[in-house]
Amino acid sequence: MSVRGTHVPEHLRLPIAGVTPPPTEKEGQRLFPTGNFRFFRPVYKDKTPPCNHACPTGEQIQKYLDYVKHDRYLDGYLTILQDNPMPSVTGRVCYHPCETACNRAEHDEPIGIRGVERFLGDFGLNLAENPIKKELPPLNGKTVAIAGSGPGGLACAYHLRRRGYASVIFEALAKPGGMLRAGIPAWHLPEDILDREIAKLLDLGGIEIRCGARVGDGPDGVTLDHLRTSYDAVFLALGQDVGRRLDVEGAQARGVIGAMEFLRETGLGRPVRIGRDVLVIGGGNTASDAARSAIRLGGGRARIVSLEAEDEILIQPEDLDQARDEGVGFRPNSALVRVLTDGGGNVSGAVLARAGLAKDANGTVTPQIAPGTETEVRCDTILVAIGQVQVLGWLPAHYTERGLVKTDDFGRVPEKGEGEAGAGTVFAGGDVMRGLSMVVDALGDGKRAARDIDRVLSAEPLQPEDPVEVMPYEKLNTAYFRHAPRTEAPLAPAGTRRSSQATEVTLAYSREQALAEADRCMSCGVCNGCDNCYIVCPDVSVMRDTRQNGHYSIRTHYCKGCLVCVQECPTGCLEKVPEMDFDEPDAVVRMETAFAPYDGAHAEQAPFTRQLIEDAIAEYDASRSKSNSIHPNGQGVTP
Amino acid sequence: MHHELTVWSRGIIMDKEARDVSTCIATAARRLGYYAENVSDYVDDPDRTNCLVRRYARFADTPILDRFVYENPHPDWVVLVEETIIKAVNFFRSTGDGEGVLVINSARDPQYLLKFLPGHMLAKLGRLVVVDATGLAEQRGSSPWMFVRDLSELAFDRMSTEGAVERLAIGRGIAAPLIGALVAAAGDLPVDAVAEVVADRDAMLRGAKQHTVVQYARES
Repeated sequence: MSVRGTHVPEHLRLPIAGVTPPPTEKEGQRLFPTGNFRFFRPVYKDKTPPCNHACPTGEQIQKYLDYVKHDRYLDGYLTILQDNPMPSVTGRVCYHPCETACNRAEHDEPIGIRGVERFLGDFGLNLAENPIKKELPPLNGKTVAIAGSGPGGLACAYHLRRRGYASVIFEALAKPGGMLRAGIPAWHLPEDILDREIAKLLDLGGIEIRCGARVGDGPDGVTLDHLRTSYDAVFLALGQDVGRRLDVEGAQARGVIGAMEFLRETGLGRPVRIGRDVLVIGGGNTASDAARSAIRLGGGRARIVSLEAEDEILIQPEDLDQARDEGVGFRPNSALVRVLTDGGGNVSGAVLARAGLAKDANGTVTPQIAPGTETEVRCDTILVAIGQVQVLGWLPAHYTERGLVKTDDFGRVPEKGEGEAGAGTVFAGGDVMRGLSMVVDALGDGKRAARDIDRVLSAEPLQPEDPVEVMPYEKLNTAYFRHAPRTEAPLAPAGTRRSSQATEVTLAYSREQALAEADRCMSCGVCNGCDNCYIVCPDVSVMRDTRQNGHYSIRTHYCKGCLVCVQECPTGCLEKVPEMDFDEPDAVVRMETAFAPYDGAHAEQAPFTRQLIEDAIAEYDASRSKSNSIHPNGQGVTP
Repeated sequence: MHHELTVWSRGIIMDKEARDVSTCIATAARRLGYYAENVSDYVDDPDRTNCLVRRYARFADTPILDRFVYENPHPDWVVLVEETIIKAVNFFRSTGDGEGVLVINSARDPQYLLKFLPGHMLAKLGRLVVVDATGLAEQRGSSPWMFVRDLSELAFDRMSTEGAVERLAIGRGIAAPLIGALVAAAGDLPVDAVAEVVADRDAMLRGAKQHTVVQYARES
């Protein structure tokens, strides 16, 4: 109630009545605290962005994109290293579930997260010294045995080292890296990058890789029992590197090669001979990698024969485009029926038939070959890429199930009984546990295994991960995000690519491109210090410490709960919470001054008025000749 | 008998409800032959959204002599149209010890609500009545901000707050169950007689039946 400009007699003046000092005025908020207007309170509550949630390693993608946006590359690199030891590798080979989940896809196009990761990874790789080395805890004397030096094993060793554990990695091949070296061609992931990433890990100290040591029942004695008794815990990251065999007539012919074996020999740098007319059997990423490598090594042509139709083929979309550009041919909806041989037992061709995949009610897929549709094609090499397995016969029977290592929810291999040596300390992860999956899945398994091994060895209970709230696109204030096209990672020209195994196909973002991509991030559900709440608050109730994530606060004694800040928060990290949910004593904002500056200030008769009434009543009473009457209310009446 | 009713509410968004509660109680009391007063707008700025506003009614079986005093000096019936007001202000100022009948529109547990009252207010509390008036009212509109009214109605009510016009329907929306709970729990006025002056009679009777009473002070 403003009485500005009105003459108010002295005796009616109240300490603050009539003048509402604006909140911007000195003492304004203290004099007229309006927090009791509010029945919803704005609360900063960060959610999990979908990219972060989709990444098996749980990379804090929003966070490092924000660092890149502000030119803080080292901070961005360190953010990745909290979850993923080798961003230069995943920045090249990851099938980017983060980009698939990116909310930006609903807005225009997903952010090129992989390219930015590679940018940061290469930035870190070129640093003179590993920045985390100084901050590592000293070794605690416990050592974990890791079977397999693929992404799963390396990640486990890395995260164990971050927790103070030493580890010994047993690798069957002559060089470390597992599938990164023996499955992924060098034109995807240059050998030099992989070597430097592994060297960076070894440089941390406490990690030892023993190459040429296959864990199993071999003669060199690296058996499971040996690992269980000699080490504090075991992580089985064996992978799946044995290609499935072809089960058709002529499969024994010279020139029928497993694609896995072909890629492994190529990856290890051994001389490989390949024909100039190659058929690749299979419709997955291995088929694509094998066909493209065959073109590079043989200089001829390669065709992919797949049961899948053209639109259901399982090759990553960008790989499929690149393969087409390089001249890989496709024979979709086809099956290999018979391998033709010449007189010397060499492959001379193949008989293909029309085929498809039939899905039954259970979702099981079975190949269906149409009889009478056979055609002959000429070729001199057949690469078989129809799936991979692992030889697990040497493991105890209760460890395995349908060709995979069986584990509980924590990746722990079941034990037969309490009496077993090292019971509960054997973990597994990666392809050998989950079947054919991504590099980043194995990296995530390694990270989780390291965490759980640490818990088991320090006698803490294993706990499932806390459920998280993933920020959906619908909850963002999308009006704040202008449309901006995605910058695709540049590619080497197809002609150059075809000729050399060493030419990297996907090239790096420039600094400007990485910045532009990072700038497109909508920071889903996470405060990125945009200052919007600070600017829009009509009551100067949002306080700002530094312009940084999480440094805002709400003046609860003054905020009226208009919720403009919640409405205008671009990222959706501000939420309205019913004021009644806050029940701790400090959260009660009881404001007496807003209504009456002192007890009964409004609700009391002025002595002057009371005297008038009392006089009038006395006069009335006297006239009625009634005395000693007492009003039941007990007020305003004198006897 | 002398009762003073103060209804606490929030400006604009549920000001009409508060006014209807005090108006209905005063009207019903007068119809029943009591002396009654209703102050539907005084001092508080009802044109400010969410701002605390009060409406007053009092009735007695003898003439009310507190002239020129519009705010109840000793409220013994207090209605909170919105539950958060329990944290916001001392609505028991000058209430007699153990005499306060407190009606809250809330779906929460009464014991949870009691946590918010400090000792000096609990000393004045006689009976706590919790009624989910929002849930019991006839549901119209969708915005939680307007409770059970849509925007055009809100605009109309805003005009009436300023004294320009008044709707004929008095006692609709969340006001009706609140009146029902208050009358039934206080026990001084017959529920049926009060229901006669409430526009949404059914909702009023729902409120009279479905509420929770916590007898806080010892009955003398």
